Amino acid sequence: MAKPAVIVVGADKGGVGKTTVSRTLLDYFSANNVPTRAFDTESPRGTLKRFHPDVTEIVDMTSTADQMKIFDTLNAAVPSVTVIDVRAGLLSPSLASLRDIGFLDAAKSGQITFAVFHILGPSIASLEEIAETANFMAGARYFLVKNFINNTSFFEWDQATYNSYFHRINDATELTIPKLNEMAFEQVEVASVPFLKFVANKGIHDEGANYSFVLRGYVRHWLANVWSEFDRIKLTDIVGSPSGKGSVRSGEK
Amino acid sequence: MPATPVYIVCSPRPHVGRTLVARLLSEFLLLKNGKVTAFDINLKEPSLIDFLPKITETAEIEDTFGKMALMDRIIVDDGLSKVIDLGFHAFDEFFKMSEEIGFLKEAVRRNVAPVVLFMADTDRTSARGHETLHRQIPPDRLIVVDDEFIVRGELPEAMDRSRVLRVAALPIFLKTYIDRLTFSFTDYLRQERDSSTELHQWIRRNYFNFRELELDLIMQQS
Repeated sequence: MAKPAVIVVGADKGGVGKTTVSRTLLDYFSANNVPTRAFDTESPRGTLKRFHPDVTEIVDMTSTADQMKIFDTLNAAVPSVTVIDVRAGLLSPSLASLRDIGFLDAAKSGQITFAVFHILGPSIASLEEIAETANFMAGARYFLVKNFINNTSFFEWDQATYNSYFHRINDATELTIPKLNEMAFEQVEVASVPFLKFVANKGIHDEGANYSFVLRGYVRHWLANVWSEFDRIKLTDIVGSPSGKGSVRSGEK
Repeated sequence: MPATPVYIVCSPRPHVGRTLVARLLSEFLLLKNGKVTAFDINLKEPSLIDFLPKITETAEIEDTFGKMALMDRIIVDDGLSKVIDLGFHAFDEFFKMSEEIGFLKEAVRRNVAPVVLFMADTDRTSARGHETLHRQIPPDRLIVVDDEFIVRGELPEAMDRSRVLRVAALPIFLKTYIDRLTFSFTDYLRQERDSSTELHQWIRRNYFNFRELELDLIMQQS
């Protein structure tokens, strides 16, 4: 039985594309046939749930009952991967909660695979959040995600300062999410379907749709670039579900 | 059922005879099939729409709206041949977009047959443009057009290895004659009684070459 894996996706501020990254993760695991569930902490109305209603529940991470819902069920055989989309600005408090309930110790002792995808914003506040997050990362995989989807610029950062924060966490890995054509992104928003279904020209119930071939092409190309980043970090290996060698994952056909 | 052809007449350089070939091809397809749709992506006038206003639409690919409006039209298997006169300014963007959105793969899926007619020239920009196409386009769908009025000699070696369609040079006075906005190649063939005239022979030779191109396309699909 695979070790349970928990991926926390968080950011210090809103609008940096955190939920977009969560969506690409869910699509990636779906295409690699990795059973996954997701928790959307944007209570009461979650964006993640709108796109992935079948696998997502909306929870309040500060509530004990919801904490039990997430963490007391980790050892269930299926699904083995849990993605938690943490509300903007609550990454450090959420990690503190996980520490308090002993989750981080379980990760450190190897009972659970724990990974954090920290979506960076273009400000010094993001760097300070890295410093805060560093305190919780023993035994965890830490990914710093530069999300260019919103045309964010990271250039105002002083590279030396950035490096000094970056190197506080051992084995931190950088990921880059490239820019997606704005109209393509908007159309997916309007369609309210996962990226993978938009590319496949399908509606939410797998019915045939009539999305623009151009926009589907842009999303396919972008998603392939995002997934190649996930392949690069061997994400399926990290969560303990390596994809079959030689098999074509859905979405690449 | 035969695939719907989409002919993309292009070059990364201006003044290489692209609109002339687009005109010839459009008129040939109109004569043969009774219908054709042409798309004019040009900054400069006169351009295709000035010569063939009844069958030509303008298009642009500078923004996503423009790209969608064009590409969502040409990816349709409606049996209606299409000709794109792709202005030099749009060459890079068009083929970058085409590669990114998987135009060729999608075209195969939808029974649409893109054919690229690349207007040859001997300069470096043309060489780079050809190389770009050579990487992207299957060899049987990339035709190098050797307009003898432009190339005036040997084709660059890399281009000569591709399939070549030759367009003979016309004397200047005939070039001026056919460059009139009111001139129609098909009308000339119909109205000129003397089929031995140079222009008559020239038009028929080019029409014949296009017919060979069409037949090859059909043969490839069978």
